[in-house]
Amino acid sequence: MSKLGVYICSGCGIGEALDMAQVSKVGGESKAAVCRTHAALCSAEGVAGIRADLDSGAVDRVVVAACSPRFKTEAFCFNHGTIVERVNLREHVAWCHKPGDEDTQMLAEDYLRMGIARALKTEAVQPLSNEISDTILVVGGGIAGTTAAVEAANAGYPVLLVEKEEELGGRAAASRKLTVSMEELAETALYHPRIRTYCSTEIRKIEGQPGMFDVTLGTVSGEQQVRAGAIVVATGWKPYDAAKLAHLGYGASPDVITNEQFERMAAKGPILRPSNGQPVKSVVFVQCAGSRDPEHLPYCSTVCCLQTLRQIGYLREQDQEAQVYVIYKDMRTPAQDERIYRQAQDHPMNFFTKGEVAAVKRWEDGRVAVTADHTLLGESITVLADLVVLAAGMVPNGTENILHLTYRQGPELPVLRDGFPDSHFVCFPYETRRTGIYAAGTVRSPMGEDQGRRDAMGAAMKAIQCVELASKGRAVHPRGGDMSFPSFFLQRCTQCKRCTEECPFGALDEDVKGTPKPNPYRCRRCGVCMGACPERIVSFANYSVDMIASMIKAIEVPEEDEEKPRVLALVCENDAYPALDLAGLKRQPYDANVRVIPLRCLGSLNIVWIADALSRGIDGVMLIGCKYGEDYQCHFTKGSELAAKRLENLKETLQRLQLEPERLQLTELAIDEWDKLPALFDGFVERMRELGPNPYKGF
Amino acid sequence: MGNTVLQPDTEFIKDLMAAGAEDVKKCYQCATCSVACELGDGAFPRRQMVAAQWGQKEKLLADPAPWLCFYCGECSKRCPRQANPGETMMALRRYATAQYDWTGLARRMYGSAVWEIGVLLLVAAMVIALFTVPQNFGFGLLRQHPEALQTVRLDLFAPKHVVHRADWIMAIGLALLLLSNALRMFRALTRGKHVPLGVWLACLPGMVADGLTQRRWAKCGESRMHWLRHLVLVTGYGTIFTLVVIFLPWFQVEDTGFHWTSLLGYYSTVVLLGSTGWILLDRMGKRSEMHRFSELSDWLFPVLLFLTALSGIALHIVRLANEPMATYTIYTVHLAIAAPMLIVEVPFGKWAHLLYRPLALYIAAAVNRSEAMDGYKE
Repeated sequence: MSKLGVYICSGCGIGEALDMAQVSKVGGESKAAVCRTHAALCSAEGVAGIRADLDSGAVDRVVVAACSPRFKTEAFCFNHGTIVERVNLREHVAWCHKPGDEDTQMLAEDYLRMGIARALKTEAVQPLSNEISDTILVVGGGIAGTTAAVEAANAGYPVLLVEKEEELGGRAAASRKLTVSMEELAETALYHPRIRTYCSTEIRKIEGQPGMFDVTLGTVSGEQQVRAGAIVVATGWKPYDAAKLAHLGYGASPDVITNEQFERMAAKGPILRPSNGQPVKSVVFVQCAGSRDPEHLPYCSTVCCLQTLRQIGYLREQDQEAQVYVIYKDMRTPAQDERIYRQAQDHPMNFFTKGEVAAVKRWEDGRVAVTADHTLLGESITVLADLVVLAAGMVPNGTENILHLTYRQGPELPVLRDGFPDSHFVCFPYETRRTGIYAAGTVRSPMGEDQGRRDAMGAAMKAIQCVELASKGRAVHPRGGDMSFPSFFLQRCTQCKRCTEECPFGALDEDVKGTPKPNPYRCRRCGVCMGACPERIVSFANYSVDMIASMIKAIEVPEEDEEKPRVLALVCENDAYPALDLAGLKRQPYDANVRVIPLRCLGSLNIVWIADALSRGIDGVMLIGCKYGEDYQCHFTKGSELAAKRLENLKETLQRLQLEPERLQLTELAIDEWDKLPALFDGFVERMRELGPNPYKGF
Repeated sequence: MGNTVLQPDTEFIKDLMAAGAEDVKKCYQCATCSVACELGDGAFPRRQMVAAQWGQKEKLLADPAPWLCFYCGECSKRCPRQANPGETMMALRRYATAQYDWTGLARRMYGSAVWEIGVLLLVAAMVIALFTVPQNFGFGLLRQHPEALQTVRLDLFAPKHVVHRADWIMAIGLALLLLSNALRMFRALTRGKHVPLGVWLACLPGMVADGLTQRRWAKCGESRMHWLRHLVLVTGYGTIFTLVVIFLPWFQVEDTGFHWTSLLGYYSTVVLLGSTGWILLDRMGKRSEMHRFSELSDWLFPVLLFLTALSGIALHIVRLANEPMATYTIYTVHLAIAAPMLIVEVPFGKWAHLLYRPLALYIAAAVNRSEAMDGYKE
């Protein structure tokens, strides 16, 4: 039998807004061993009081009814393993509802009941403890990979650096000039006491999970097994397939080449016409060859403008009189690169114009004729060149035939719309959708060598973070530090495979029958599996279907004639919940008939909760989650999208039960849209009033 | 068009850069200049900048637009790339002046300081020789007339009828040269364009007004000061030119009494000394955008004009003071400055703009009007 302590704070305006004696009574009505009110619970004195009860053994779990759990986190953090449940009476009640009002009072009492229900259903987390490898495996020995290896090794971690070519260097080795010395970098890695470099080596197989990846390395002579705790993928880029650039003349003449081919030629020696080996007297550079083109690569490849300017420089080293034409969409030379642009512009024999290349053909004399429309010269122009260089864009080289993961969801990193394996390039750089595997450099976004190096440092830090957290049984981003993990009551599993398919991070493998095989270290604790399971066999010690259902049951639903509708709002704790805190902070009033329950992710929504709520007479259920679709903001990539799908299915069921589908609503909301919340709540409650009370009320 | 191959004239680019457009390549076509320009067509001078960058010599020599610019300098002031479009247009005018001259002398003089100074000195030497070598003219004639050493006798030193005739010969010669060059400009600017005679006639008054008043300049830039100063300079110059070429018998007088021509002469002197002196100070101090860059041709014109006026008034003073030798010497010096200035600057040099600019405006106006008429017909 758990010994619950309920502590209610009356500071920060809570005491003025509520009848504290009545609130306290709710605590008393529960089976709480202790129920106390304090004027400033977060003060040293207030905290000491709680601590004394814990130390004396009077209580073993605590409900703190005060401010939002997003504040005073440290003050209310007690001994390891102590269950602390926070009830938000400040931001969600006192600061945004009419003080002294009956509805406000009912809201506070409901929240306290819900918090007590939750606390009673919470179990102590038994942390994972396995032997965790702190070795970082780096895949790819180019600038980014080698940098990541050196950075991780310098931080004290053993590193395995795998490169498929004979030497380190990657594409940098084929470049004539770089701002980074690849030779120095490679030497540092090769002689580093904590780095083991495997060249001419491929990855044949990766099994396991963060902290314990079993990696099979293969060379021509055989295979070997190594163990790593986290992986940095720095497999770089490849040029956009030139065969798809026929409209820009690729293939029309051997003298039409890509920027990558030009770079290789320039790295080796003089720049000559591929067709006859004669010196080049005129060149046309066609920028954005594939890039920023909705039919090819929709993004800017970032480096082509600078690379072209550098390549003009190579040509100028051998010939001052050659004519150089650049046909661009926009010249993009951020930061100091602008100087190189200026320098190139200043040369009298360099000719720049914006334009659209309309035709590239072989001319009678063997040269190549490039025709461009819509030029700055006010007309279509045709220029003749000995050499045409297509500034082909960058595509990631890291999503095919590289990692050979033995994951149920596939052997490689899943990609987003443009083919990059990042999970969100703004919010979660380096994070892929495979926990413990981090992308660095051009594999995750086009970038130059300088940014690639910085990127490598970032990814190396992420990998270190991963092994450190794993060694303590803690989750990585975004629930960094969470020690809970899902457990599966497999006796009741029906092998429907929903959890193994829907897990955004591929954490669950399957046996031959389709039973899930959890890999807890791959898990990011979002609870999508819990929401997906129709048998409700997935639960966390501190987050479960039963727990949320108990909270819903704790809501007091007034009888029909009282005209007090009840709305349940299940909100994402990552964006919507803090947005609601902001609304409180800004004192934005909204309808007090709404009861908010935060979810780890809307993807953890189990539809049984909605059934529970509606059958208990709650008039409507709102779901508020992150934006989904192409520009998703979900911290678990597709949680709100999954919730939307589940909701659609549920609406059909609703109609069979003679309930209006309008009683369910899913809203996408970003954290900065807090100002929309009051109208959103008020509007929904108003619609529930119009619909009339839930007919199941009172059953 | 797309089918004809574009070949940049690389020599043209280098020549133009040498003629003052050294920053033309810096332009990245943002069109800030075109927005700043009060007189342009919306694409001016951006389009001329890219044409210059790309060595489009034929296109630019057939374009009247550089002559529409009076160099207020707003474009250069606002250029984010320091490409100096204003100075580039100036360089295009210098280049065009050199190209329109069929004798090739202008090209040599714009290309080389040695040539320019050399020709000036050569003409000056010829003038001095004219007064010193012959026995029946200038200092030679004085030897036969000792009385001319006691009192000033310009009629003996430089007989009016001879000088007047020489004035006319020079004026006609220079006019013919300038007109023949202007004809080449006319051909270049009208090639491939069909303008009905009626339109040419209708636009003629505008040309005269432009030539006399530079009225478009008044709309240009922030201040009208440069326009006004130039207009005053034109009146001073026009007055003295008329006095010397047409009214010389009344202007070059022997007695010390009052002559109506003296008043006009004083006016010209004051205006010429004042405005050219002011211009020279502006150029030396780089006081405004249009004076930031000065080529040799930009210096020589005001310097020579200033010296001409200075020697002219000095001549007047020593003559009234009855200093015969000083008078004859200064007379020679005065002509040794004025004659080379006119011979070099009018048909071949910067002064040619007195015809080129109104002509370009005239052609542009006529072409625009006939194109508008064509558009109306269609």
